[in-house]
Amino acid sequence: MGMKTYLIDDDQLAVYLTEQLLRAEDFSNSIHTFGSAREALNTLLGEGQEAAPQVVFLDLNMPLMNGWQFLDALHPYKAHLLGRCFIYILTSSLALADLEKSRQYDLVAGLIHKPIDSGEIRAIQSRLLPGPGPAALWA
Amino acid sequence: MSLSECPSSNHLLTSKTEAVLVLSSEGEIRQVSPALTRLLSQPADTLLGRYLTDVLPPAEEERVRPLVARAAAGEVVCYQGLLPGPPQLSECQVALLPLLTDNRIAGVYALVCSRGGGLRPADQALLVREQQLSVIFDSITDITFVLDVEPEGRYRFTFANRAFQKTTGLRLEKVIGSYVHDIIPEPSLSLVLRKYEKAVRTCQPVIWQETSDYPTGQLTGEVTITPVLDEAGECRQLVGIVHDLTRQKKIEEDLRLSNERFQYAIKATTDALYDWDVAADTLYWGEGYEMLFGYGPQENPEPFSQWAEHVLPAEKQRVVGGLRYMAYETTDWHWQEEYRFRRADGSWAWVYDRGYILRDEHGRPVRMIGAMQDISERREAQERQRLMSERLFRQNSDLQQFTYIVSHNLRAPLANALGFADLLARVAPGSDVFTTSLQNLHTSLRQLDGVLTDVNTVLSVRDQQGGYRAEPVALAAVCGQALQGVLPLLKACGGELRYEIPEDLRLPGKRAYFHSIFHNLVSNAIKYRSDERPLLIEVEATTDADGATTIRVRDNGRGFDLAAAGDAVFQLYQRFHSDKKGRGIGLFLVKTHVESMGGRVSVESREGAGTQFMLYFSSHGHENVPD
Repeated sequence: MGMKTYLIDDDQLAVYLTEQLLRAEDFSNSIHTFGSAREALNTLLGEGQEAAPQVVFLDLNMPLMNGWQFLDALHPYKAHLLGRCFIYILTSSLALADLEKSRQYDLVAGLIHKPIDSGEIRAIQSRLLPGPGPAALWA
Repeated sequence: MSLSECPSSNHLLTSKTEAVLVLSSEGEIRQVSPALTRLLSQPADTLLGRYLTDVLPPAEEERVRPLVARAAAGEVVCYQGLLPGPPQLSECQVALLPLLTDNRIAGVYALVCSRGGGLRPADQALLVREQQLSVIFDSITDITFVLDVEPEGRYRFTFANRAFQKTTGLRLEKVIGSYVHDIIPEPSLSLVLRKYEKAVRTCQPVIWQETSDYPTGQLTGEVTITPVLDEAGECRQLVGIVHDLTRQKKIEEDLRLSNERFQYAIKATTDALYDWDVAADTLYWGEGYEMLFGYGPQENPEPFSQWAEHVLPAEKQRVVGGLRYMAYETTDWHWQEEYRFRRADGSWAWVYDRGYILRDEHGRPVRMIGAMQDISERREAQERQRLMSERLFRQNSDLQQFTYIVSHNLRAPLANALGFADLLARVAPGSDVFTTSLQNLHTSLRQLDGVLTDVNTVLSVRDQQGGYRAEPVALAAVCGQALQGVLPLLKACGGELRYEIPEDLRLPGKRAYFHSIFHNLVSNAIKYRSDERPLLIEVEATTDADGATTIRVRDNGRGFDLAAAGDAVFQLYQRFHSDKKGRGIGLFLVKTHVESMGGRVSVESREGAGTQFMLYFSSHGHENVPD
């Protein structure tokens, strides 16, 4: 499983939790965690095009740069990232407004309420991993 | 007195040139003049005792009889008729005049002018004049009458025109020939008799006004009595003219009533009415001016500039300049403004002023009539309402923010706890992940508890505001006490704190709020100090000339990017430093406390340089906070 994954959240407990849940599902052996969106952005833009993560789990409520600001910062690179990098918003918020707003961003592949569960993890795997099996039907 | 003795007709009857006959009221011929016997070619004795209508040609009979009757009723009647021959019918002009003897119409006096030979210019002129006078007297609307002056102060009507009958409702037949004291009722009678006597005695016209009751109603008239003198200078007749003033009196009375109502309206209104005389540039004030604004009656009218001086200087250009502009430079007629106006006691009133500009035919302003209304109470109520709405709006949006933030921050540790519980069920007990997850589960639950504690704090602060009453708080003392609590932290980091608050400075507010404000701001300054320099915190309070107090809490700490933080600085659970732990409730409490005491808080900060908080309390800001 070499699906390169970014985990962006200022809440260290949440980062640890999500990482363990992903590991428990064998989601990826390449998980990079970031305590701030700024840090994640710098890394993402600093690495080459080919090094962009396939999956990003993005928290919304963070100081200095929140999830939305991170998405706005990625906007200039949208054309390059679309189809290669799938961003999932992972938030503890249940606000419908956030879901509405997330639909305005093409880069956002989905919104997941914390904590992420195994079903949601498997759905992402099925969607992103090309291969035979029933999962490919709804990719 | 017989007809032949009647003095007015005697000279005509004996005249050799005038064709005259005297008839009874029934039309019987009583006397004839020699000229008439010649005109009719019949001796006088064949005419006397016959009816005029019998002497005239048969065709004339029906026409003339009513004319004679009218003359016998007091009218002057002229007609064109025919005279019998011989030698043949001839045209003539006849004037029939009522003949007065003693106190009644005794008969009819007929003056005949033949169209044929023997026409006398004097007769014709007399007839024409009679006719003209008759027309004139009957067509003028003023009451006209002639009185004979008789001995013992008695006056008899010898003539009265139609206006007399029309105005008084008294029939002319009854009036003419009657004595004044039989026609005019008391109390007017005594009055007019005195006036007549005066005119007769002085031989000068007498004029007066009187009001009398007549069948047609109450009449007011101006009476002019002019004495007519005979050759000997004796007053024999009085000519009276009464000009009916009833309508005019009514208009004057209506005007008086209307003015009276206006005066009462001025008294009843709470407005200050004024009349600006543009040419003189003066203002005439109604009573309301003193009542509303307390300016005593030093001079009224007063110069326009007096009023202008009382307008709030900042609004003078708009109000006074605007009014003058509208008056002189436009043709508008309606002016209105709201402005502040100084009362005599120096306080300021809110005024609503409306005026109507009267202009001459060239559109130039002549006067302006207007009213100033004191709307201070209304304005203050509006202002209170506005502040209250603003406050409610703010509270509402705070509340929405609060709900959002609390749900978010409540759910974050809850979501973690749920996740760790899930994970614990799936990993091997005793493994590293199991141990860490168990610890994290505890941590998450403690965080959850912390958020609930914050919620409780915030809600209790809000609850306390309901029963909040301002008390004077000695700022220096409260600040000192609050600093005691943070002194160990300050010492531990080697920081220094200076504060300059006047000992006697007291602000209306709540002691506990100020304590919390100082505690939170100084704690923040310590928490976010810079590692590059020793911490210095400065607290100072100053009061300006208007009585407004500004408290500054300044540090040389790390600061933050104000532009990036935006409106969120004072919001709940907003943090601007990712590496320092903080719940983001301190500044929210500072703001809540400051605003609940009627103050405002703002912040300036620069990354790497420091942060300054400014708390501003205006001298009367506190009063504006509705309970």
